[in-house]
Amino acid sequence: MNGRSAATIAILVLAATVGTSHADSAAAGYTLDSAASRLDFIGVQEGAEFKGTFHRFTAAVDFAPEALASSRFDVQIELNSLDSKDSDRDQTMRGPDIFDVAHFPTAHYVTRSFAKTVTGYSAVGSLTLHGVTKDVPIDFQFTSAAGGAKLEGTARLKRLEFGVGQGDWKSTDEVADTVKVEFSLSLKPRP
Amino acid sequence: MPTTSPPARYTRVAQWLHWIIAALIVVQLALAWVADDLPNGARKLHVLGRHKSFGMTVLMLTIVRLLWRLRHTPPELPAGMKPIERQLARTTHRLFYVLLLAQPLTGWLMSSAKNYSVSWFGLFTWPDLIAPNKAAFEILKTTHDLMGNALFAVIVVHVLAAFKHHLIDNDDVLTRMLPFARSERR
Repeated sequence: MNGRSAATIAILVLAATVGTSHADSAAAGYTLDSAASRLDFIGVQEGAEFKGTFHRFTAAVDFAPEALASSRFDVQIELNSLDSKDSDRDQTMRGPDIFDVAHFPTAHYVTRSFAKTVTGYSAVGSLTLHGVTKDVPIDFQFTSAAGGAKLEGTARLKRLEFGVGQGDWKSTDEVADTVKVEFSLSLKPRP
Repeated sequence: MPTTSPPARYTRVAQWLHWIIAALIVVQLALAWVADDLPNGARKLHVLGRHKSFGMTVLMLTIVRLLWRLRHTPPELPAGMKPIERQLARTTHRLFYVLLLAQPLTGWLMSSAKNYSVSWFGLFTWPDLIAPNKAAFEILKTTHDLMGNALFAVIVVHVLAAFKHHLIDNDDVLTRMLPFARSERR
């Protein structure tokens, strides 16, 4: 065995070791504790913010601070479950000019990459909403707790990029383009 | 008790507050009627957004006006008026103050109850007065609508009375509220 082969073997062993340690720090799997979780949206109409919530959504979360590469969020939102505390507005938002829930009943968000930030973490994922898929970044904090974890964060998206707002609602004079999303998820270890 | 005798005319500030608020009320009634005829949608939202901004302006100006009124004695009613006319004039003026405060306040409350916060021309947002509540909204909307009609009725009485004073009684009740007029008559 010459020097070169020895070095090659050493690198292979090292790579295997790294591979093993990577597998050891796989992200932990969580499911959503729906009753203790919130997913809110905040829009601006006529210059004033209004807040609504989605009552029904699911989330499969794989996350560990030391395993960002294998972390993943997969969130499904049932748009029909929106509630802005005004039935007139809810009906309009479900209708053909806004979410068009008859044709697009769910929104789907899947992360692609994660990064550590000064205050917590950020992720970029693709959001499929109203038949359009676009990248949406999120910022969040992850806190481990006894028997689970807490995931809290925000996202901002431009509704018109997804065609959310047709007819008179295309104008940003009444309803601003930017919509904020706030989430507070209670997570339990996946069995 | 004021030691000086009441002035012959309203102060400049009182005159301008009167006419600015009068103009805003005309706009408010017009916007309310337009909004009533619109279906739920972006246009109605826009008209009501303006209605709310003007309404909050009326509220602020009315508070200023009341404070000014408390510190500045207004001119007296003409000497020749009958007691019933004096009573009617005082009641009308008091109703104006009540409605000019109550209309913006019920409007603000009903916006809060329906979870549509009140913006002031997009510059800032007023805090919500109550939590979203459908039943409260319905009661407040009915009250706001009825008081709007009452306000319109009081305006009709007020305008007719002003013209009656000017054209029939030939007194200075109208001119002493006009910023650019001189009241020569008495």
